[in-house]
Amino acid sequence: MAAGKRLLLGDDQPSIGEALIKAMDMSPADVVFEVRESDIRGRGGAGFPTGIKWNLAGAASGDHKMVICNADEGEPGTFKDRVLIEKMAWKLLEGMTIAGYAIGSSHGIIYLRAEYPYLVPILEKARQDLISQGLLGDDIQGRGFSFNIEIRSGAGAYVCGEETSLIESLEGKRGEPRNKPPFPVNSGYLARPTVVNNVETFAAVPHILLGGAEWYQGLGRDDCSGTKLFSISGDVENPGVYELPMGAALRELLELSGAKDIAAVQVGGASGSTVTPDELDKPMSFSALPPGGSVVVFNSSRDMLDVLENFMEFFVHESCGQCTPCREGNRRLLDIIRSIRAGEIASRDDLKPFFLLADVMKAGSKCGLGQTSPNCFVDIITKFIAFPGDKEGA
Amino acid sequence: MEILTDVNRELGCIPEEAIIATASAVGVSNAEIYSVVSFYSFFSIKPRGRHIVRLCSTISCVMSGSAEVLEAVKGDLGIREGETTPDGRITLETTSCIGLCDQAPAMLVNDEPHTRLTPETARAIIAGLE
Repeated sequence: MAAGKRLLLGDDQPSIGEALIKAMDMSPADVVFEVRESDIRGRGGAGFPTGIKWNLAGAASGDHKMVICNADEGEPGTFKDRVLIEKMAWKLLEGMTIAGYAIGSSHGIIYLRAEYPYLVPILEKARQDLISQGLLGDDIQGRGFSFNIEIRSGAGAYVCGEETSLIESLEGKRGEPRNKPPFPVNSGYLARPTVVNNVETFAAVPHILLGGAEWYQGLGRDDCSGTKLFSISGDVENPGVYELPMGAALRELLELSGAKDIAAVQVGGASGSTVTPDELDKPMSFSALPPGGSVVVFNSSRDMLDVLENFMEFFVHESCGQCTPCREGNRRLLDIIRSIRAGEIASRDDLKPFFLLADVMKAGSKCGLGQTSPNCFVDIITKFIAFPGDKEGA
Repeated sequence: MEILTDVNRELGCIPEEAIIATASAVGVSNAEIYSVVSFYSFFSIKPRGRHIVRLCSTISCVMSGSAEVLEAVKGDLGIREGETTPDGRITLETTSCIGLCDQAPAMLVNDEPHTRLTPETARAIIAGLE
């Protein structure tokens, strides 16, 4: 079967607690080593190697180390973490507990986006179940290791998906990104060494521990490791969450979800890239098409300028306003998009200053929001929009 | 954040008195609390309705017809997005992606998700709110 093995949402699940008990039979350093060797990279989108993060936090000096789960998925078109929590909340909690054991932390927090209040009871129940089975809480399985998890809600801010904004928000402040360094692994929540990982990353950890690093690595394709959840929506017959090898070709996902008429595909959400039908064989990997969690398909009836305007309205609304290139730049890009719509722009050459602005935004913004929000502008204008003054085939 | 979340939930908004009280309880300036409240879209300083309807206005929902749903609801309620009905029953807001793109168009009514909306079903759901 081309789709490969499904781990995260497959039918064949390990029993609850199995991976944690196996982890506790190992030394914390060996757990970190296993995760590092598995080559898993952050499933939230940025793709930082998880094992390196754990290693740094484990080695950092400081008491009260923290394990934080980023459940603030806000990238347009992403809903994989919601489905993962709905179906397998225990696995996320177990992955966090293993992380706690590995780095020497006894306290975890799940930062759940405000838009998912209906997931709070699900997480709460999973937490209580684990506590009653002695797999979470004080003195887990009589091994002398304690780990507690708190569930906290965000209040509606896309930028809080950025890990330092998320930490600021947990500390009760505006969710504005911090300067790095120091990195959270050294000085994160309340200046404590902190690991922040995405829901899907934590959920993969029990599988890595049980199957081993080499096995997990072998599940990926291209230069990637493991499996990945993809949320697909838009003009497809069967929108939903699909699990494929990390690095699988975009075309594979489109076929699974029943995309027929494909004029454009947005990979990696509004901040990702917009690809043409010629690019569907590209692998969804960190080096080629970083997928984040979101794939949105547009058929030939869609006006890509509408799509671009919608994305840019989103970024104007969600920019936290801290960095000027992002705060002002997104507005300028939205203005020029509206001018294009009004027919006021004769040719692509007239947009040169705005491509320069896009470069400035990428270089001059502190966090991923401003660094990636111009992507859709550059991609859609370059690949999909025709201007009256363009030469043939431009 | 937890204090503000509780206040916001209980009162539907975070009025000036609550900002002042929170600031003195936490030991920071009123301005600092105000800046936090104004940062997050789920917090409001203005009083809001008994029910808060948040209709998604991001791409997958738009492609599935959320604009038509919004027009229908606005017509029924006689308010625009961001406004509250004069009887204090409903506040209507549009929101960035709420992660229900596979069941678009979608909205949150208070804490409840409603999916695969049509103008008719959305109207019926909203008419059913007391």
